[in-house]
Amino acid sequence: MKLASALDRRRHLTGYAFVTPTILVIVAILVYPVIQSVVLSFGQSSIDGSTGYTFVGLKHYASLMENERFWNALTVTLIFTVLTIPLELALGIGLALILNEHFKGKGLARLAVLFPWALPTALNTLMWRWMYNADFGLFNAVALQTGIADKPINWLGDPTLAMLSMVIVAVWKTSSFMALIILAGLQSIPKDLYEAGRMDGMTRWQEFREITLPLLKGPILVALVIRSMDALRTFELPYNLTDGGPVTATESLSLYAYKVIFDFIDFNFGAAVVVIQFLVIFALSLVYILALRPKD
Amino acid sequence: MATVTLTNIEKKYGAVRAVEHFDLEVNDGEFLVLLGPSGCGKSTTLRMIAGLESITAGDLLIGGKRMNEVEPKDRGVAMVFQSYALYPHKTVFDNMATALKLQRVPKDEIKRRVGEAATLLSLTELLDRKPAALSGGQRQRVAIGRAIVRTPEVFLFDEPLSNLDAKLRVRMRMELQELHRRLGVTSVYVTHDQVEAMTLADRIVVMDSGRIAQVGTPRDVYERPATEFVAGFIGSPAMNFIPLRREGSAWKAEDGTIAFDTLPFDTTGCDRVILGIRPEHIEIGAASETAANAYPARVRLAELHGADALLDLTVGCVQMLARVGGADHPTEGTELSMVIPPRLMHAFDPATGKALPQG
Amino acid sequence: MKTRPRIGLYLLVALSVVISFLPIVWLILTSMKTTAGIYAWPPQYIPSPFTLENYIKILRDSPELLLYVLNSFIVGVGCTAVTLGIGGLAGYALSRLRLKYAAALMVAILAVSMFPPVSLLPSLFQNFLEAGLLNTYQGLILAHTGLFLPFAVWMLASYFATLPTEIEEAAKMDGMGTLRIFLTVVIPLSWPGFVATGLIVFIFSWNEFPLALVLMSQNAMRTAPVGISLYPGEYAFPWETISTATVIAIVPILIITAIFQKQIVGGLTAGAVK
Repeated sequence: MKLASALDRRRHLTGYAFVTPTILVIVAILVYPVIQSVVLSFGQSSIDGSTGYTFVGLKHYASLMENERFWNALTVTLIFTVLTIPLELALGIGLALILNEHFKGKGLARLAVLFPWALPTALNTLMWRWMYNADFGLFNAVALQTGIADKPINWLGDPTLAMLSMVIVAVWKTSSFMALIILAGLQSIPKDLYEAGRMDGMTRWQEFREITLPLLKGPILVALVIRSMDALRTFELPYNLTDGGPVTATESLSLYAYKVIFDFIDFNFGAAVVVIQFLVIFALSLVYILALRPKD
Repeated sequence: MATVTLTNIEKKYGAVRAVEHFDLEVNDGEFLVLLGPSGCGKSTTLRMIAGLESITAGDLLIGGKRMNEVEPKDRGVAMVFQSYALYPHKTVFDNMATALKLQRVPKDEIKRRVGEAATLLSLTELLDRKPAALSGGQRQRVAIGRAIVRTPEVFLFDEPLSNLDAKLRVRMRMELQELHRRLGVTSVYVTHDQVEAMTLADRIVVMDSGRIAQVGTPRDVYERPATEFVAGFIGSPAMNFIPLRREGSAWKAEDGTIAFDTLPFDTTGCDRVILGIRPEHIEIGAASETAANAYPARVRLAELHGADALLDLTVGCVQMLARVGGADHPTEGTELSMVIPPRLMHAFDPATGKALPQG
Repeated sequence: MKTRPRIGLYLLVALSVVISFLPIVWLILTSMKTTAGIYAWPPQYIPSPFTLENYIKILRDSPELLLYVLNSFIVGVGCTAVTLGIGGLAGYALSRLRLKYAAALMVAILAVSMFPPVSLLPSLFQNFLEAGLLNTYQGLILAHTGLFLPFAVWMLASYFATLPTEIEEAAKMDGMGTLRIFLTVVIPLSWPGFVATGLIVFIFSWNEFPLALVLMSQNAMRTAPVGISLYPGEYAFPWETISTATVIAIVPILIITAIFQKQIVGGLTAGAVK
């Protein structure tokens, strides 16, 4: 549509000029590479793109479907997501309810909750890896000294324990993020709603069910979406904690894709992996939005 | 100083028409008030004159020059905003001087003009302060000063007094009157407050749903409202409206309690009219009163407002408000007679809302 | 509700605080032990003797660990500056200049922010290789800017939306152009929004791993999280060095978080609640 007024035209021109640098950077770093990844996944080319690109259709996807390690990575990622998200949500709500109370030292408590989120996951993971260390770690030291265990527990060496250990690190790091978002939601609920509830004779549990939870739906949805995206693309956590091991018991999709691309140096096959990962994330976000969208 | 001419001005947001068929000539040196309820398009009209909104169709002329596409700063207008819109990080002096600095007016000249405006508005002592250190009234004066120093052809005011408390509002209103008398600059003033409009305006433009309902002097719009909307909007408490039906040669309300043998209006072609009478024009008398147009009424509620009192009257099934003297006003439950003086009545065509001419 | 559950509340609070701090505290304690103390049995819960030897050794013998921190700092500051600069302009235009496609652009920006970083890697690596941006500060700054711009644009746009429009209109009447209004009126009025956004973007950049790992592969160019993670090679971890380097690398973030916790929390949660 043509703008009738020169005033509006000038304003729009300035506006789009302001937006242009951002669009350029986002296209260069986010949009174009994703499109390239899709193109790469349908073809065969050299690492630096110097030799020509040949279109091979769904070849990489077909071999992916038969690749056990890919299915393993997908399963590991989904199990990891399914285990962490509900735990994080429950702990997040609990922490938020605690932080919403008035007590001395609240500032310190909030800071304590913020720290795990603020520190680099890679380094958090190293800290935990040190505590999990079978020979010199804190956990085994306590377990052995108190007699809970009579021989060192191999936290990161046993497939099931390694997955659980990884889940614990993730929950430790990100329950705080959930808590902060839910806390902000809690604080935006008008106090008089609770007063009205009390006048109606609600118990505290009823208050939580009837007032708090329904009004927290929005913040919870946002937190769930953000955290699920993070869980589905988790990379440095297995990279630093177990390197995907033992064998491939904790190898996430991101880690697998990284290894295909940079260890096996197969960009085209790796691109197919990341495209699948991309689709999984996309599908999940759709599910969330449909499931939690407000009903009219 | 300049005239402002709006010819068939229209503003559309997508498919929504905010303002349409707007024709108006603001005379040189005139104080014109745009009055109407919120959402009637008065602010949009002002902002189109300022250049903050583009004009969808029509012509805007300031001092005879077409301004539709001209940037706000080049229109020779200055604006005073509702929230004062002072730069919080700049001193009073810098707030007032900004426009001049941007026009590259020489430093001495800026100092002189800001100084003059400050004297005029008694702001001289406050020039070094930041807006946060000022009272509401002082901020308002700085906002006016910022407009004055630019020596604009036209002043635009967007509800400038509505953020002040009641007492201060009255004082600032008087200061604005005084200022206009002194400077004589063409002013367009937007408000939803009819008292402001009545006291400040040379002429009032009453707006309704994006259109002009009436243009006239304060006396015109009060005494001779052109439409039912204007009649109901001007005056407080609002005018009473009684729907009447023609029955033979007489006019009767729904249940017949209120009836007139004739109406002093040209009712050709109407079989229904809406009769209007202002609360302050209703007279009350003893229940025994038998004058023409006297009706038996009962006081349902009486509110003393100090100097006067409001009576909520029941006449048959019609509810009417009457304003009477506060001393010895009738109390609730009193039976009395209510007189509607024919010369103070208004009548409107229910189909068009237009006032019927006196007949 | 009055006094009875208070003790329970304090126990829960104490438990949360202990669990949150445990890994960090244990790491700091480890960094203050002698090598013998770290691998001693029975384990030393409190270092005996306390020693700062590991810190001195790092400062003396492993300048690359300090270099990693410096790299992270350069990339973080660069990314934050560029992101606030161009993201501020975009956020302003999208929230204030009534652009016809503003809503669509905002949604598009939000959508692309969900792309997993690893899905960018194959092509980003090739593009950066071709453009000579691998192992350069400007390269990783550009990559991080792209990664965190969506967040910054959204946060700043929602901050600008809370400012009263009249001041900007008054500035327009005063004769300022849009860029001047942005620079001299909007920025001074919205610095709390810029501070919160900037802090979070800096933390994001400091913590980012996959792109930093791939785009800065030379040892001298590594960022702190990557450099420390790769420090010893694959298996044998010299924990006295790792723990000490980690403490050094997280101290800046701990300080920033502690000082600005209000702004950071406010910024993080603002979008989610609306």
